Amino acid sequence: MTRLDRRAFLRTTAAAGAVTLAAPGIARAAGYPERNINVIIPTREGGGADRNFRAFAEVWKTKLGTDFEPGFFPGASGRVGYEVYMGKNEPDAYSLIFGNMGPEVLNWAMQAPESFSVEDYFYFGRVDVDPGCLFVGAESKLQTMDDIVAAGKERVLNVGTSRMAHPASIGLLALGEVTGAQFNLIPLSGGKNTVAGAVTGEVDFSVLTSGTVIAAGDAVKTLLVFGENRVGDGLDNAPSMNEVYGTDLPEMLSSRAFAIHKKAADDYPDRFQILQDSFKATFEDPALLDAYVELGGTPEYLSYGGVEECAAFMQAMLELGAKYKPLLTGA
Amino acid sequence: MGETASLLVEVFFHTIGFWWVIIPTIFLGLIVGGIPGFSAANTIIILMPLTLAMDVETGIVFMVTLYCAARMGAGIPAILVNIPGTAGAAATPLDGYPMAKAGKGQQALSISFVASCIGGLLTTLIALATMPLLARVGFYMHSVEMIVVMLFGISLIASIAAQDMVKGLIAGFLGLMIGSIGTDVVYATPRGTMGFLELYDGVPLIPALVGLFAVSEAFLIIEKRVIISEDAEPKSPNWHDTFEGVQIALSRWWHIVWTSLIGLVIGVIPGAGASIASFVAYQQSRTYSKTPEKYGTGHPEGLIAPESANNGVTSGTLVPLLVLGIPGGATAAIMLVVMQFHGVGFGPSLFQRQPEVGYGMFMAMAVAYLFMFFTILPLSRYMSHVTTVPTIYLAPLIISFTLVGGFVPREYMFDMYLALAFGVLGYIARRTGYHVAAILIGVILGPLLERYFLLALKKSGGDITVLFSSTLGNILWIALAISLLLPVWFERRRKRQATEVPAE
Amino acid sequence: MKRQLGGELVIPILAIVFTLYYFSTIWNSPWTAQVSAFMVGGILLLVCGIFILRCIVWLGRGEGSLGVGNLFSMDDIRTGRIGLLATTVGFCFLIEPLGFTLATFLFLFASMVILAKGRRVPFILVLSALIAFAGWAVFIWAFDTRFPKGWFEVTMKALLSNG
Repeated sequence: MTRLDRRAFLRTTAAAGAVTLAAPGIARAAGYPERNINVIIPTREGGGADRNFRAFAEVWKTKLGTDFEPGFFPGASGRVGYEVYMGKNEPDAYSLIFGNMGPEVLNWAMQAPESFSVEDYFYFGRVDVDPGCLFVGAESKLQTMDDIVAAGKERVLNVGTSRMAHPASIGLLALGEVTGAQFNLIPLSGGKNTVAGAVTGEVDFSVLTSGTVIAAGDAVKTLLVFGENRVGDGLDNAPSMNEVYGTDLPEMLSSRAFAIHKKAADDYPDRFQILQDSFKATFEDPALLDAYVELGGTPEYLSYGGVEECAAFMQAMLELGAKYKPLLTGA
Repeated sequence: MGETASLLVEVFFHTIGFWWVIIPTIFLGLIVGGIPGFSAANTIIILMPLTLAMDVETGIVFMVTLYCAARMGAGIPAILVNIPGTAGAAATPLDGYPMAKAGKGQQALSISFVASCIGGLLTTLIALATMPLLARVGFYMHSVEMIVVMLFGISLIASIAAQDMVKGLIAGFLGLMIGSIGTDVVYATPRGTMGFLELYDGVPLIPALVGLFAVSEAFLIIEKRVIISEDAEPKSPNWHDTFEGVQIALSRWWHIVWTSLIGLVIGVIPGAGASIASFVAYQQSRTYSKTPEKYGTGHPEGLIAPESANNGVTSGTLVPLLVLGIPGGATAAIMLVVMQFHGVGFGPSLFQRQPEVGYGMFMAMAVAYLFMFFTILPLSRYMSHVTTVPTIYLAPLIISFTLVGGFVPREYMFDMYLALAFGVLGYIARRTGYHVAAILIGVILGPLLERYFLLALKKSGGDITVLFSSTLGNILWIALAISLLLPVWFERRRKRQATEVPAE
Repeated sequence: MKRQLGGELVIPILAIVFTLYYFSTIWNSPWTAQVSAFMVGGILLLVCGIFILRCIVWLGRGEGSLGVGNLFSMDDIRTGRIGLLATTVGFCFLIEPLGFTLATFLFLFASMVILAKGRRVPFILVLSALIAFAGWAVFIWAFDTRFPKGWFEVTMKALLSNG
């Protein structure tokens, strides 16, 4: 029974895939890639990133003509994975990191570690965008945004979040600024606990990446999205914050993207070009949508982004991080 | 109601039809549960392609059985060789291992199996009957109340430390201090990490657990030829010992009932888990026992309490998952993912839309416990052989096995070195008269206590009186005070009676 | 033998050193990082202090000595405990260069030979080989964990992929 383990399974399907689906010519022309590409995933195996990665890699590998080997390095809000990638992996375009641009860049902005710089790597392939949202438990007394704003002007509301340095937390702080309601962020460590906190009344309501909220079904009710509501009913047709309050906040995203060492892109521009082209081609293949849906992703959130889109988002996160740093770190 | 009953009967017989899944899964669960570092949750992840390929019913039966069997399997090495493979089994060796050392490994295994099966089965049925009610527990047990619950478990340090209070407290508070390593839960400031990123999320439990208990023990047992003490009469495997264990457990049926209920109630609280439940159950069992001095020396009730409680948790974690749509623990969270893949939508309306899924999960659990009872019990006579393996072979095996187990959950070499470091700490502690169990309780429960404490303080804006701000919390504080004072009072009364007797 | 307070003091001294180090890391941190650590650490320093005072009293009365006989003794060499510790540390450091299976085999073989004082070497050889192989089957082949791969793992992988 144990022989049917997942990685062996993936390897077999990879081999089969490589044989049946002939890789496009571009990949082999430059003699790259001639071996598997290692991908560091800075979160736990079996988590959301794992599933997204598998769905995406399944299609991407057919474009690139080689397989991807994930390595999971969770810990310290993603920092372990980045440290391993920046410190131990060769910048030769044979190793990538599949990170979450929102929280992980924000985390870097909070901790400002000396061991690596955000200048030394960059995201070049955005896979999905998952905006943060605000939701209440099904039994909460606060059932509309008006309830929340009114209550927040009378007393300080406790608001659950998965962790302080998270785009959804910034969305909430911005909401407080624009409405004058008082919020006290309570970090509940992880999406599961954040949903539970709102449902059981540990906190007045919560903010979280919407993917997790969609999964919670009718246990919760979404009232506001810190970005565009791309799924409509899945998030109870909640409006976007900019729409309701006239703000111009960038989307507060949990956004998964592949990144590469800056040195690798500089030293091997041809290899990097192949990676970029095949990444883009992956988005044009309808098989991606199928793979994504099959592994339980929210297809509406699939969204291609190249070097420029990623850089703009990263910059926005660094700026917002700097602005709200005192509130998010207690410093 | 009649409709529900007939549905239940139907689901029950339907589930029994899955024996061909249940029986092999029980053995798989026992094995992965027994290997330190593996658990039901990471096994389900590793076997994900297999699980996803099954149809939804088979998948439910498979996952639920694996969960129960792994919980039970973790007790086996905890009893026989002092290796608790998961945090949930950390209280099991306190009395289980001394029994094994005294040559009663078979009885201990039977007791643990009976307590687990009955505790698990009973709480499953109670959960099934009172699900909507039980799910409300989470609505009242917030961070303030959880602080008190954690203190119940932590107060065990004081009882363990009874013979030499100062040294006991040093051990317990050292454990709490080690448990404070890692970022603070609110602002994520790294603390005491000695520069290791691997410690940012706190001290990983499995390396601490196996290091303190098993590695240090391995260095001690080499003084003896075999684990069981020389004066324990050598015996060939026999049914008699197995049945003696069953009898010991059954005669304490009431103990199984109430300790498993503690597990059930703690299990339904989202975020609270088997480690809390087993220590709280052990502490409560000891507090209200007539013979508290026997705990820690191989007392059957000290084994029953954590084992029935941690299986109570297993049933409990399903309740918030099914009623509220929020998983109560790591394994339940994985189940949620797998079920969503099959298009099962969780949340309060699950029982209207797909009642067979909700009832099916509990029924699968009940049936799994029934099957387990009859498949595992006969094995105890063979398993207990481990205690008769010469220590010259066993000690190196235990060390390699546990260091490897320390590595498995996160796959960092660092964790292996950490397990060795904890082994050395545990060895020094044992040789110089400090209780490793006290250190361990601190390491396991300390971070949880701190988490609830900081959340409560953050919620109240730093106002310490928040600790006494809820009615339920205050009732729990009183219960805590009683359970701390009662043993003292019992002790006095016993001494008084003892002095009165000769006076007559 | 007098009470060996030297050995008993190891843990409290470790505790004090660690607590002071810990305090130094949170000195300038937000209150959330400090509140419970200062509380727990404060009590720990207090009980350690009490214990040290007690030790001083015992030493003064001549009831104890600063010996470490309860921690180390000639028995540790006789029983092979020091040897086992050495092989364990060796195992931890050799596993990276040698790979999981080979390191496990060498560790089991060496430590069993030391503990058995050189008896039954052929039996131990076979036994440790079997166990190391079983470990490889479970952890590397079946569960594909990220243990360091060495010569044995690479060879087996090549063998399996060809067969």
